[in-house]
Amino acid sequence: MAKLTIDGKQIEVPDGTRLFDACHEARGEALPHFCYHPDLSIAGVCRLCQVEVEGMPKLTIACNTTVRDDMVVHTRNERVQTAVKQILEMHLINHPVDCPICDQAGECGLQDQYMDYGLYESEIEMGDKVNKEKAQVIGPHVILDKERCVLCSRCVRFCEEITKTGELGIYNRGDRAEIGTAPGVELDNNYSLNTVDICPVGALTSRDFRFQKRVWMLRATPSICPGCATGCNVRVDHEGGRVYRLKPRRNDDVNGPWMCDSGRMIYKDVHAEGRLGSALVRRDGGLESLSWADARRELLGMLKPGSVAFALADPSLSLEELVLFRRLARRLAGEVQIAGGVAGDGLGEGDEILLSSDRRPNRHALSWLDLAEVAPADLAAALEGARGTVLVLGGDPVAHLEVAAALKGVRLVYLGTRHNATAAAADLVIPLSMWPEKDALWANKQGRIQRGQRAVAAPGDAREDWRLLVDMLGHAGDDLDLAGLPALRRFVAQELGLADEDSLNRLPAAGLVPDVAVASPGSAPTGGE
Amino acid sequence: MSYKGLPEVVTTRKRSFWESAYFVEIFKGLVVTGRHVLKNLRHTDEMPTIQYPDQKRDYGPRFRGRHRLTQRDDGSPKCVACQMCSTVCPADCIEIEAAEHPNPAIEKFPETFTIDLLRCVYCGLCEEACPCDAIRMDTGIYEIAADTREAFIVDKEFLLNNDKDGTL
Amino acid sequence: MLPVILEALLKIIFFFILIMGFVVVLIWGERKGSAFIQDRTGPNRASIGGIRLAGLVHPVADVFKLLFKEDVAPSQRHPFLYAFAPWLGMVVAMTTYTVIPFGDFLQIGDKVYPMVVADLEIGMLFVLAISSLATYGIALGGWASNSKYTFLGSMRATAQMVSYEITMGLALMGLFLVFGSLRLTDIVGGQGELIWGWLPKWGVVVQPLGFLLFMGAIYAETNRTPFDMSERDSEIVAGYHTEYSSMKFALFFMAEYAHMVVAAALIATLYFGGYQIPWLPRPVLEGHAGPILTGLLVAGGLCSIWIGTLYFRRARREKGWYNDAREREPGVLGTAAVVGGLVMLGSLLLQPWNIGAGGGSIFVSLIQTGAFIGKLVFFAWLFIWVRWTVPSFRYDQVMHLGWKIMLPAGLVNLVVTALWLAAVHR
Repeated sequence: MAKLTIDGKQIEVPDGTRLFDACHEARGEALPHFCYHPDLSIAGVCRLCQVEVEGMPKLTIACNTTVRDDMVVHTRNERVQTAVKQILEMHLINHPVDCPICDQAGECGLQDQYMDYGLYESEIEMGDKVNKEKAQVIGPHVILDKERCVLCSRCVRFCEEITKTGELGIYNRGDRAEIGTAPGVELDNNYSLNTVDICPVGALTSRDFRFQKRVWMLRATPSICPGCATGCNVRVDHEGGRVYRLKPRRNDDVNGPWMCDSGRMIYKDVHAEGRLGSALVRRDGGLESLSWADARRELLGMLKPGSVAFALADPSLSLEELVLFRRLARRLAGEVQIAGGVAGDGLGEGDEILLSSDRRPNRHALSWLDLAEVAPADLAAALEGARGTVLVLGGDPVAHLEVAAALKGVRLVYLGTRHNATAAAADLVIPLSMWPEKDALWANKQGRIQRGQRAVAAPGDAREDWRLLVDMLGHAGDDLDLAGLPALRRFVAQELGLADEDSLNRLPAAGLVPDVAVASPGSAPTGGE
Repeated sequence: MSYKGLPEVVTTRKRSFWESAYFVEIFKGLVVTGRHVLKNLRHTDEMPTIQYPDQKRDYGPRFRGRHRLTQRDDGSPKCVACQMCSTVCPADCIEIEAAEHPNPAIEKFPETFTIDLLRCVYCGLCEEACPCDAIRMDTGIYEIAADTREAFIVDKEFLLNNDKDGTL
Repeated sequence: MLPVILEALLKIIFFFILIMGFVVVLIWGERKGSAFIQDRTGPNRASIGGIRLAGLVHPVADVFKLLFKEDVAPSQRHPFLYAFAPWLGMVVAMTTYTVIPFGDFLQIGDKVYPMVVADLEIGMLFVLAISSLATYGIALGGWASNSKYTFLGSMRATAQMVSYEITMGLALMGLFLVFGSLRLTDIVGGQGELIWGWLPKWGVVVQPLGFLLFMGAIYAETNRTPFDMSERDSEIVAGYHTEYSSMKFALFFMAEYAHMVVAAALIATLYFGGYQIPWLPRPVLEGHAGPILTGLLVAGGLCSIWIGTLYFRRARREKGWYNDAREREPGVLGTAAVVGGLVMLGSLLLQPWNIGAGGGSIFVSLIQTGAFIGKLVFFAWLFIWVRWTVPSFRYDQVMHLGWKIMLPAGLVNLVVTALWLAAVHR
């Protein structure tokens, strides 16, 4: 441990700590900085985090200094402040100050630090600036404005150290130096949008989010990316009932500060064409939309205990929904005819960084709930010659041709989010909410339960799915009484056999890896009969 | 107890007998109002009323009237769709959709720029927030009338060619 | 039989036209008067072919507007009473007129027609009985609307009516003692006399305290400021007619003004000599009918021509102000005034000084009716004048004034009058 004094305050930090982090801890706020990033190597190019260390003749940058015992550091004295001001002025020499058209405005490091440490009349003439290329498309997701760049090299280091693809580099020298790609090379990797996140200015911006919204108008809701089994922690930025972008939230146990581009684009499904907005019922061969009250009556009428031949839930449902589904299916269909998704659905290629080959956010929970996956052929065999109702929650099992062919004798009830093959084949379609439209728990591939919060309202008649399931349960004779989310979460904890009933209501920030006995039997259905 | 030396109770002057008898005071009041009637009957022209559609008040040059969008030399809007105005607008009446301008030197321009004149409170904050001098309220137009609510939602073309005429 | 009915019908029609005309003029007078009191111009826009008549066209426009407006009614109303209440108010206001004399008689040839619809023995009692019914209109309207504000308004109106009806009766009893009759024609006739040869024996002279009490009570009865408890805008929206719209509202509105006309007529009849012109009793007038008519014609003609020239001057001054039909107005009105004046002067050719006895009698009846209408106009204007001068009472003040001040004062007035009369007549 090293004891040091920062701005007159004594602190003790482990040996080998960077002075930057020690200062952060002592001051309660970070030093001004552009190039420093805790997950990247030290570059020391922005020179903003200069501090005065007693005994050193010149100011030194805190990010590239390791703490020493008995260090005496000043971060706010006049010498340091003058230095920060001058360095900021240097950064602004060739900056175009086109904040009105810059997408970074509002979350820009240059703006923030200028407000905190600068805020003076600039001595640079606008006409004297070196003009560089603006709005250059350098990849499928990223657009580059070379004028705005402060050459902190974070993006270059990211591409070398994290993705190890090395597309970006700094070319030319002096005030002509600029970020760029080699001729013929595109910034085309599945993590390219992280460079936009770490870019402290508006040099790298997202093509997808370009000019969509000013960032200060967005509201952020913490959530979990449902794109794959990794369960990256994300921030849903939304406004007026519309999701505009996803940004990663730091969770060092899951995704660090990063997330993949394919995960970022997953929000588009929420507002894409083909969302189910109202209930549909098959009449005279075609699907007609139905009022919610009628749809509910129709749905409850079709789901009488014993009338259900098969029940199938997709692991894209949340943990709560899977638990409620299991209880409902056991009551309606009996233990044997329940399946947790179609085997082989939602598998893709993964990589070593974040993206998992399992593209379902909740497949891990299936093993906890003893819900087996069913192969398409087995499903078809089970449906062949079956009589009654087939209940499908989420997914798209009818996309498998053999399943579609086996649907002759059954009535198909589909609760889902999109117009797909299953919806087209169904006799009754009930719209469900998608992930940013509900408060839900997800179990990622580590078995870590994480919570995503409701950001926007579901379209049309879609509503909180767990309430619909509880309603169906109640109608099927179950006396499960769940007044609200905390009660629901307590019920889920009971079903999983967790020691602490309230543990799901008090999830730690990093999520909870519960000690679940594999294939917990769950409680027997109660009431009725 | 008194607060900072002030008397706690407001004392009212005691009314004299004739004041509380009421009829005398009513009569005095009638004399006052009657004088006004006679004066206004004789000097109809001296009434302070401005006969509005025939007579109009002159407003100062800083009067905030209906908005307009200023133009570049080529007639396109100066606006770069930074949405400062819609951010600062207390009535939330400005709606802008930005789009990519073909000229990279301009880069961003408002694809749509609508103002709901019924919602606008004419506070002028949009003018002050604008970094490009793109929106102004110097038309001096305050007679804004239309037959439908929709007509009060004016678009970019209208705001760019805002003439000195009250019709919408 | 038939001539009697016809005669009564003609009188009723005369009164109906008189009241409705007054209602229109009073609404205009209220708007214009309040404007002038507050240094505004008041209504001056509505016009027929540019002729605005200082806003007199506005009530006409209002009537058409109200006739064609949508009738918005509360869904939880009592359908029959809701529709009936406005009519009740109007009918009561109209009925009261039947006993008020607007002249003593009209003699055409040998026939003598009394200028009152129904000269009842119980005259004033009839007025009191009928005018109390007006409260039913307000109370029913407020209750049938099924709204809190209307209900509060009707409750207030009822309480106020109960409180002030008594004072009114007591004040009138003094008057009945003095004139010894309930019949209104007797009371008016009694006021034609002179006391000590020079003081008209008007009700206000012999019953000054009674007059003040009656004035207060009748203001309360008509629900006019300062007693507008039942429709205080700042407290209960519009009171009993909050839920009324279109013509039903208009009926309530007109009933209020019709009540004002009744009240003004009653004040003039009971306390200001009715149709009597002081110091000029009927025989004197009949004796000098010719010269009086001639003088009136000359004065009227000259005045009319003078007014016409004023209009012409205004026409010159306002040239180019409006650039529309309104520019015609002063010219048209000036021409009409001058023509009217010339007609009056021209009628001198018919030798009006030789009007004769029969014509003189008719002329005097008309003059007396004119005097009645003149007094009525003044007291109707007084209603407006007071409304825009005096602030309203609080509800508790209304009750205090009614029960603790006016009621004892009325009793004192009655007792003193009785004692004084007893002393004089012994």
